[in-house]
Amino acid sequence: MPTFDEEIRRLMADETARLQAAPDLLERVMRSSRSNRRRAWTAAVAASVAVIVAAPVAYLSIGSVTTNGEQATLSTQPTLSAAVPEPPPIDDISPLPSDPPNLGDLGDGKEFGHVKAGYLPEGLRWSHRSEDSGESYSTSYNYQGDKNGFYCVQIRVYEDTAVQQVDDWIQEYREKADGEQVDIGDRTGYLVVQNVGEDGMDGDPTLFLKMGDRQWAEIKFSPIYAKEFPAAEAVNSELKKIGQGLTSTI
Amino acid sequence: MSGGEHDFGAFVAARGTSLLRMAYLACGDQAEAEDVLQTALERTYRNLHRVRHDDGLEPYVRRVIINTAISRARRRAIIRIVPMHSPPETSARTSDADLRHVLMEALRTLPSRQRAVIVLRYWEDLSETQTAEVLGCAVGTVKSQASKATAKLRSVLGRDTVEGVIRNAHI
Repeated sequence: MPTFDEEIRRLMADETARLQAAPDLLERVMRSSRSNRRRAWTAAVAASVAVIVAAPVAYLSIGSVTTNGEQATLSTQPTLSAAVPEPPPIDDISPLPSDPPNLGDLGDGKEFGHVKAGYLPEGLRWSHRSEDSGESYSTSYNYQGDKNGFYCVQIRVYEDTAVQQVDDWIQEYREKADGEQVDIGDRTGYLVVQNVGEDGMDGDPTLFLKMGDRQWAEIKFSPIYAKEFPAAEAVNSELKKIGQGLTSTI
Repeated sequence: MSGGEHDFGAFVAARGTSLLRMAYLACGDQAEAEDVLQTALERTYRNLHRVRHDDGLEPYVRRVIINTAISRARRRAIIRIVPMHSPPETSARTSDADLRHVLMEALRTLPSRQRAVIVLRYWEDLSETQTAEVLGCAVGTVKSQASKATAKLRSVLGRDTVEGVIRNAHI
């Protein structure tokens, strides 16, 4: 006679046997993800075009004493409008990173990409690990200061179209009433324990910090490192300190 | 399509149904399971660069599914109290289909984390250590949660009822 455990397994199998993943599941996932990217791309293009149109175009008048900025702007409109309305085919949008290069030798690791860390918790050193995926890049810090050490703090920076990802995540957390908005000096941020990370469900205490319209930083503690602090408040306090010290070099 | 997208597509094609079944057991509802699965896959797709640090896509997706299911269950619990079901009236001649229904009802009455432990241990056949890794808790917690959940299942289902139905199903 089957055991109770075996019967539970069998009943589960029988109960779920009728279920099949929808044939268009992959398509829906890709479409949804791509629409997010396209939205971000369109927003970025619109923003950059606005800057271009508003900017002086005196460079176009070189060689022509009769052309002023206004005329040059008008003359370039067909070119701009041809470039703006349609996003490129989806496969032309930057592909997902695969084995992205690193950021090279960062010295003490405090300045990387377009940010500079002014404060790190005591004892932490650059891990000599970094990742450069273009519009998002990161590095981390640990006690050992080498690649084999378990990371304690990771800082990832999102720029340009990648900031849409951060907006999406924060929106998801808000909808779940998970985390809280915080002020870091005159900047805004979002404190949350991210449940899904490399280290499991304990979660990574994280501060998302808006560095500018085109730049966000994600400052994250590993769950193991977070346990070295007496309480969540202490972790959050350290996250905020790192955030306060983190400045943009754009 | 990039290499990463191709791999992801192959993964969804190969494991989509299995993951849907796990999501169903974790959620207790087919429509929600489909939604949770799609949400989990979208999040995974957006975070492929993070997944590289893990052993593979499946443990990551599994973790997202379980976490999402737990999170949704907790959110629902905040806005409404799920009534505890009374042990169902089941006759000695209860069919196997009825027993499956009883099991699903019993699973739905479990706290979300206990339900997750049952799904991971019985359905995914994960060890206690692996289950602890997915849930981000100690092995001891998994043991205690599994013990409580199993006791509740036995209680709600009724061991006698289960064994009676099992006997009937095998006659």
